[in-house]
Amino acid sequence: MSDASTPDDAEPSHDHEHHHHRLEGPGYATPQAAIEEGGREKLAYVMSLYVGTDVDAPDFVAVVDLDPDSETYCEIVDRIELPNRGDELHHFGWNACSSSCHVEGLERRHLIVPGQRSSRIHVIDAKDRRNPELAKVIEPEEVYEYDLSAPHTVHCIPDGEILISMLGDADGELPGGFLELNDDFEIEGRWEPPGEIEMNYDYWYQPRQNVMVSSEWGAPKTYYPGFDLEDVEAGNYGRKIHFWDWEDGTVEQTIDLGEEGQIPLEVRFLHTPESTHGFVGAALSSNIFHFWRDEDATGGDERYRAKKVIDFEPREHEDWDMPVPGLTTDILISLDDRYLFGSNWLHGEVWMYDISDPSNPRRADSLSVGGTFGEVQEVQGRELSAGPQMIQLSLDGERLYWTTSLFSSWDEQFYPEEGERGSVMLKADVDPRKGTLELDEEFLVDWGECPAGPARAHEIRWPDGDCTSDVWQ
Amino acid sequence: MTSHDVTLEWPDGRTLTLAVDEDETILGAAECDGAVLPYGCRTGACGTCSGRLLEVEGAERDADGTIDACAVDDAIAYRRLSRALKDRHRAAGYVLLCIASPRADCRIAVGSSVHTELVDNPWK
Ligand code: FES
Repeated sequence: MSDASTPDDAEPSHDHEHHHHRLEGPGYATPQAAIEEGGREKLAYVMSLYVGTDVDAPDFVAVVDLDPDSETYCEIVDRIELPNRGDELHHFGWNACSSSCHVEGLERRHLIVPGQRSSRIHVIDAKDRRNPELAKVIEPEEVYEYDLSAPHTVHCIPDGEILISMLGDADGELPGGFLELNDDFEIEGRWEPPGEIEMNYDYWYQPRQNVMVSSEWGAPKTYYPGFDLEDVEAGNYGRKIHFWDWEDGTVEQTIDLGEEGQIPLEVRFLHTPESTHGFVGAALSSNIFHFWRDEDATGGDERYRAKKVIDFEPREHEDWDMPVPGLTTDILISLDDRYLFGSNWLHGEVWMYDISDPSNPRRADSLSVGGTFGEVQEVQGRELSAGPQMIQLSLDGERLYWTTSLFSSWDEQFYPEEGERGSVMLKADVDPRKGTLELDEEFLVDWGECPAGPARAHEIRWPDGDCTSDVWQ
Repeated sequence: MTSHDVTLEWPDGRTLTLAVDEDETILGAAECDGAVLPYGCRTGACGTCSGRLLEVEGAERDADGTIDACAVDDAIAYRRLSRALKDRHRAAGYVLLCIASPRADCRIAVGSSVHTELVDNPWK
């Protein structure tokens, strides 16, 4: 099943000084090459789920037609059903991305699709982009052998290996860690020495800087049943980010973001491989932190700094007892590193900030849609049941898409109608020159009409790489 | 093998009575019978499979109408730690059906809505 066919004697060479090297592996030589050569997205893969409902069907991967010239535009044109119920498909990733662009023979072909609740890991062969097929399943028991559970972020790491952040131990308690798969999609083992971190969530790496950054949600047993303020008071949710030595797999520095950094979820470095700047969204505190390497700092272990640069204030709502936090659940950076986009799931807002100067983000525009306060509460007559959540941006930065489900048990708590109506996928047109967002009312994909019943929709990926999966060496 | 009658009750009024062996989980027995119950982790960590004890044969009810906590403990044996439940949930009769085996005849409310009772929206 290996996609790699690098001859033994062909030592992969990658000259970091030369950006215009001949491309032999998957992906694009540079972020700018992805913008110029990638073309418009015609299909999306979207995590779709029934877990936690009474619908007798497994979760599935939806293939969504995004080609405006197609007769099936805005429709789910294929569903890859998984063998079991109860997975909670959440985040997923490719077996190879632009970080392996030097590995001859490697293809961006297999999707690694973990079940957040089940700890089962699926491998889907997407050689036929419109009709992908399930190729392999790694059962939870195989994962538990490494004392890990609750798989989250999937990145391919150079040379065909795959790294998955794992949020808990085999019992759903702490600590979490990282599971590594080889290019035959077999478990290679734990990537890091156990115990480097307690909590885990998302991660991003910048190989040219030999750095990885990881964030924190909580123990699976804490967040699985739903959000409980008791857990916040007990300190059961995360507020730290960790900077790793990428080659050694060890933590070099941990930054406690404090009260204003509660539940740091999605974490992104800028796409430029030289950059040491990035952002993390603290979901519960609804703040964005900028982090960067301070070149003037003395000593290797305290070189990264983090500072709150965007603060979304809670809002009063007449029907709610307490001010409602924005709940900043997803962020992403455009491939040209010019804009930071994000979603405030509870308020019902997608926003864009100009990050040309990353330490001083400048608000460019936002859209008030869905959620608790959104000005737009229906599209094409379809009532929206929740706020914008997972976002994905076209390679050229001109179309922003989003879905509305966060996590099945948290959805039930904050937007109980979502389970009855299902999720939607919506789109805004972005003008990167003017820095504006405009809702495209012609665009609507409705998970409320799935054959087995209304489904939730979560993370979105493009077949040939996107703003949240590709890393450059 | 001793078995106990476990009656599952869905919100729409459907019921199903199963004879569940003491070494079987209630979720497993229900699946053998073709009944669809929600689940996720199957290890007692996620709470997706939560049911709520409505009655335990021979057990008294407290003044507030809940089943006596000791009777709840006596009615259900867990094969692993019920990590997804907090003390307040256990005391209120919530049961993780993926790891629970009966030790008495009982009636249990099931279906995905039971799981949603575990936590409220704290801001509302
Ligand atoms: S299925 Fe997760 S606790 Fe039972």
